[in-house]
Amino acid sequence: MEHATWPARIVLALFSIIIIGAVLSAQRGRKLFIRRIPGLTAIDEAVGRATEMGRPMLLSVGLGSIDIITLQALAILSSIVQTAARYGNRVLLPVADSAILPVAEDAVREAYTAGGRPDAFHPEDVMFLSDRQFAYAAGVAGLINREQVASMFLFGTFYAEALIMAENGNRVGAIQVAGTPSTTQIPFFIAACDYVIIGDEFYAATAYLTKQPTLLGSLVGQDIVKGILIACIVLGALLLTFGSPVLYNFFQDRDLPLLGYLRQAIEAGGS
Amino acid sequence: MFRPVTGPTLWLYILGALAASGVIFFVLQAIPSRLRKPLVALITFVAGLYYATEFFWPVGADGANFLTPWIDPLAQMTQVLQAFALGLGVYSLASVHLRAVARQRSGWGFSVVLFAGLFAIALTGFLREYRPNRFNENVFNFFFVGGLQSLDATMFSIIAFYIVSAAYRAFRVRSIEATILLTSAFVVMLGQVALGQALTNNIPNQQFAANFRVENIANWILTRVNSPALLAVDFGLGIGGLATALRLWLSLERGSYFDKEL
Repeated sequence: MEHATWPARIVLALFSIIIIGAVLSAQRGRKLFIRRIPGLTAIDEAVGRATEMGRPMLLSVGLGSIDIITLQALAILSSIVQTAARYGNRVLLPVADSAILPVAEDAVREAYTAGGRPDAFHPEDVMFLSDRQFAYAAGVAGLINREQVASMFLFGTFYAEALIMAENGNRVGAIQVAGTPSTTQIPFFIAACDYVIIGDEFYAATAYLTKQPTLLGSLVGQDIVKGILIACIVLGALLLTFGSPVLYNFFQDRDLPLLGYLRQAIEAGGS
Repeated sequence: MFRPVTGPTLWLYILGALAASGVIFFVLQAIPSRLRKPLVALITFVAGLYYATEFFWPVGADGANFLTPWIDPLAQMTQVLQAFALGLGVYSLASVHLRAVARQRSGWGFSVVLFAGLFAIALTGFLREYRPNRFNENVFNFFFVGGLQSLDATMFSIIAFYIVSAAYRAFRVRSIEATILLTSAFVVMLGQVALGQALTNNIPNQQFAANFRVENIANWILTRVNSPALLAVDFGLGIGGLATALRLWLSLERGSYFDKEL
C-alpha cells in the first residue's frame, strides 16, 4: 500500500488549502473571469446541428468506472443534455460499466428536467452495452451508424476504442467534441474529432459551462497551484544549475535539514 | 482481518447481511428528503476521511499504520456493492433487446443472437466451473476463446485502418500546426524504421555530427519535446483531479449535477 512521503504531505496539504480557500472566496461573491475555450464553445454548435438535422446526439463517458474522471465527464455531459433538452433533442448515452448506469440515468433525467422537458427523457436511451472494451466499441459503432447521429460528445476515460468510435462518428458526418485525461488517446481524438479539449481543460469544462462560483473558485485555486508548481520547476532548475540541490532533494524526498528535524519531532511526539 | 467462514455460519452471515441491508434500506427510505443530502455529504466525508488519513498518517517499519488493515475489507465491500450493479446492467441490456425482439424492430435477429450468446457463455461457464471435465472445458473454450476473444481481436485489428484514415486527414497540410505535426511525425516515423535510419547512416554517430542522424532527431523530438509536453498535461490533470476530488469529498458541489449547491 502506498503512503504519502513528507514532501507529499506538505505539498498536498498546501495545495488543498489554496484550492479550498479559492472556492470559499468565490462562494462569498468574488467576481472571477474564465477565458474562452473553443472546444466547449462548439457544444452549442453541435447541439444546434442535431436540432436542425432532427437526428440524435451520442454521448459517451468511456470505459471508466465510478471515479473522479467519470463523475467529471458525467457533469460535463449533464450540462450538454440540459442544452439539448431545451430543443427537445434525443440523447443516446451507452455505458460500459453497469455501476455507472443508474448514476448516468439519474444525471440525464435531472438534466432533461432542468432543461424543462422531462417528457423528452427516454430511460432506454441510457443503456448498458458491454463491459468488454471492444464489444462496447462495436456496440457504439453500430449505434452511430444505425441512428446516423448528428453530433457526438466523448468525455471520460478512453483507451484503444477511442479511435473506433471517433472514426465511425466521422464516417456519418457527426460533429465531434472530445475531452479525456487519457493522454495516450488525445492524439487520436485530435486526428479524428472536430474539437478536442486537452489536459486540465477537462476539469475546467464544468466551470466554463455553468459559471457556478464554486467551480470557478476551484479553477482559480488550480491556476494558483499551477503557478506555484511552475515557479518551483524554474527555481529548482536554476538552483540545480548553480549547484544547490535543495529544491530537487525536497521533491525527491531526500533528507533536508529542516525536514529531517520536523520528521524527528513528529516521530518523537508520536512515540 | 476477517477469517473466511463455511457451513451454517456462512449462511447465518449472509442472512444477517441481508437483514442489515434491509434495515438500512428502510431507514434510508424513511429519512425525509431534506435530510438525505446532508446524510450523503456526511457519508462521503467520513469515507473520504478514512482513505485520506490512511494515506497521510505516518507508517511504521512494516509500511503500515493503524488504518491500513481495513483497506482490503473495505475494497471487498466496494466490490460487493459494485456486483449489485451487474444485475442492473443485465436488466438494461435485456429490456432494450427484449423490446426489439417483441416489436420485431429492424435487426431484431441480432438481439436474438445476443440472448443466445449470453445464455451460452453463462451456461458453459457454470458447467466448466462446477462440472469440470474435458467436454465442458472444450465447449467453453469454443465460445470464449474461439468466439469472444477472436471477435475482440478482430475489432482491435480494425484500429490499424482507422489510424491510417485519421492520420491522412490530420496530416493534410492546411495550417502551420498541421505542417509542424506532419513534419515531426514524418521524422519520428523515419527514425523508427531501418529504411529511414539508412538515409543518414553515413553521418558519424559521434560528437556534433550525430545531431543530424535521423534516429537522433526522432529521439530528441520524443524525449525533449513530446515528453515534457505530456508531463505538463499530466501536471494540469493531477491538479484538476485534486480539485475535483476535494469538491466531491467536501460536498462543495452537488454530485449530479448542476442544481443548487449544498
